[in-house]
Amino acid sequence: MTTQETFSSAEGLGPRKVQGKPLARPDRSVGVQAFIPALIGGLGQTIGRALVNTKEMVLGTRPDPVLEAINDGINTISYPEQRRPYPERFRGVHRLTQREDGSPRCVACLCCSTACPAQCIYIEAGDYEGDKKHAGYEKYPKRFVIDELRCIFCGFCVEACPCDAIRMDTGIHPAPYDSRDQFIYEKDLLLSIPGRHGDHESANPRIEPGEPGFPGITRLQHH
Amino acid sequence: MVPSLAIIGIDFLKAFAVAMFAMNVGVILTWVERRMRGMIQDSVGPNRAAIPVPGFVAAGLATGPAFLLAGSVLYLAFGSELPESEDAVFYGKLMLQAGVLVGWVTLAAIARSAQESGARNPLEQAIASLGSPRGIALGGVLLQVALLMIVPLLIGEVLTGPLLLTIGALALAGTAVAGAGHVGAALSSQKTVRITLLGLLHPAADGLKTVFKADFVPPKSDQFLYNLAPWISFFPTLVLLAVVPFGPALCFGKGEDGQIDLSAFQGIEAPGQMCEASRLSLQVADLNVGILYFFAMAGTGIVGAALAGWASDNKFSLLGGMRAASQMVSYEVTLGLTVVGLLMVYGTVRIDEMVLWQANNTWGIFVQPFAFFLFLAAAIAETKRIPFDIPEGESEVVAGYFTEYAGMKFSMFFFSEFIAVVSSSTLIAALFLGGWHVPFMTAEGIIVTIGDSELFRSEVSSGALVALGALTFIVKIIALCVLQVIIRWTLPRFRYDQLMRLGWRKLLPASLFNLAVTAVLILAADGASAGVKESLERAAELSMLGVGVAVIVGALALVVFLFAPRNKRIILATSAARYAQALGGTREAKLEA
Repeated sequence: MTTQETFSSAEGLGPRKVQGKPLARPDRSVGVQAFIPALIGGLGQTIGRALVNTKEMVLGTRPDPVLEAINDGINTISYPEQRRPYPERFRGVHRLTQREDGSPRCVACLCCSTACPAQCIYIEAGDYEGDKKHAGYEKYPKRFVIDELRCIFCGFCVEACPCDAIRMDTGIHPAPYDSRDQFIYEKDLLLSIPGRHGDHESANPRIEPGEPGFPGITRLQHH
Repeated sequence: MVPSLAIIGIDFLKAFAVAMFAMNVGVILTWVERRMRGMIQDSVGPNRAAIPVPGFVAAGLATGPAFLLAGSVLYLAFGSELPESEDAVFYGKLMLQAGVLVGWVTLAAIARSAQESGARNPLEQAIASLGSPRGIALGGVLLQVALLMIVPLLIGEVLTGPLLLTIGALALAGTAVAGAGHVGAALSSQKTVRITLLGLLHPAADGLKTVFKADFVPPKSDQFLYNLAPWISFFPTLVLLAVVPFGPALCFGKGEDGQIDLSAFQGIEAPGQMCEASRLSLQVADLNVGILYFFAMAGTGIVGAALAGWASDNKFSLLGGMRAASQMVSYEVTLGLTVVGLLMVYGTVRIDEMVLWQANNTWGIFVQPFAFFLFLAAAIAETKRIPFDIPEGESEVVAGYFTEYAGMKFSMFFFSEFIAVVSSSTLIAALFLGGWHVPFMTAEGIIVTIGDSELFRSEVSSGALVALGALTFIVKIIALCVLQVIIRWTLPRFRYDQLMRLGWRKLLPASLFNLAVTAVLILAADGASAGVKESLERAAELSMLGVGVAVIVGALALVVFLFAPRNKRIILATSAARYAQALGGTREAKLEA
């Protein structure tokens, strides 16, 4: 027997009004002060709780701790067997978004490392060379290193990025590792981490010079 | 008189069985304590320890016992002489019920898994289309009750013993093999299976871990006493159980040399039959002092705690040891005085005779109800557990008398506390809850008689009665253990002065009052007229009937409780909840990282 309530987006966003319920003052009647009746009541409460929860667990029908948490008693998330999915705007581990050909969108402008208050981003810029598509007008990060131990997960790098190349929408928090050097995320690792929905690209389209709809002045027009 | 080799072997076997019982229940209690405490908050509790085995090995482990069971059942029905014997009907009913039980549990489990994660093959699809898991389980229970009612009516007319046995054996063997085959097929398709035994391996792993932990000994401690204390604490709790009978005594004939003749079995010692020649009691030590031995050994435990506190060279330990000693001495007074009332009623100090008295009349809790609660409170205080765990109150004296202990020595204290719970529960079950006695159990079987009218009669063989008695005793012990654990979960710790006041100014006078009232009542009952005595006997029978009815009503209530559905509301107010719903619920969330 399941009823479902979906809150409309207008109601779902923002702080909701909390409705308080006045609590009665603790009862200090003779029954409570005599200890024994209160003791029996407490034992009954414990037994009932343990019975219900054991039954639900054995039958595999215990309430979902996230979806059904509000009206059905105690719900504990058995971390790490169970995890609460992080909310949509949770700032998780960084990722570098890719272009369609799999190369990084990053143009090594150093905006993120400049904005970073923890100074945890190190970028070594390099030029696209030879017959590479972007050769001659764009840089790329030869190295892109984030020290996830120094990072304070403020999200300033994401805000600073002009190319939507760095994102924190992975929905995962940094895993515990055995040694500190494992927290140094190199470019290849950052590129390989997918977003929350398994995508490696960014939602914002990037139109290269020469492609229809390119907003800037193309080199051909310029020369 | 030198006992024969067989008797020595049996004695050794009994001691081994009792020690293993206490230790295993101790381990399970540790598990229950940790796992079920989590259950109050609806969490799983520690269950990370696992033995990974290849899928086909796990399948073998799952199906092996089922095939063994099926084989032995089929042998009983077709290969042995059981069908011709009188027990055929009993075993036939038992097998039929067990087969139906295995059948509906398997069907409901398959339907449940098909409902949760989709059917894997047409067979599962067909089973899932039979009905909801709840409906299948309900149908199974109803079928069992119906069989329980119908089968006795058909016996004699349509059903003969051998036919019933054949049907029962085929049902049990078929359902067991089918269910285990299904489980085995699912397991063998997996590459590795993690065997966790419901999380039971976790306390085992914890216990193993303590063996290898650093054994720190405080440099200025009294080395000898420091090392001795855990043993003094551990050993008495284990040997306490030696004087408790775990089942009715077995009667044997006397051999020509005046010794017990193990080949001449004459039945069990229960209401309606006393042993004439020789008896083989199902307790380790047949001591005349009985319960006094129990108190002597329980008293020794105080020395262990006090020694540990003294020898540790630590002020917290010393305080804890003193608290333990004073508390246990105080509550032992109440414990002893409460038992005196029982001794007056039963007229013996031997626990096996006390149980026999209860089997002949009524359980101790009905003749000494007040003493039961006093004894329970004092026994919990004796085991130094919440709400009386002042000796190890973390907020005041770190860990009390075992603050300085580490590794296996610490776990000996820890374990002895759990075994003390088992042994105190055993004593309470033997003194107040009739020990191995099942209501209306006699030497011939279960015969319900009120006055002169016989309401129900089911004759059971002596072997089955012994098994039933031992099983009942274990159930009573475990129920009392669980009660103590629940008390531990519920109550906050007393303050030290409150504890002492409760012991000396409330429980002790109450136990003296109980003693006086008991004495007066015994005198009154002895001098009462025949009519009053007869009405007392009726009251005893009615109390036993009440126990039986209460057990049946409790079982029914449990079934109703298990089938009661629970209303659930899904509320999608947050993006986390929406993501959880997209994942199919939080309990389906993938393991990451």
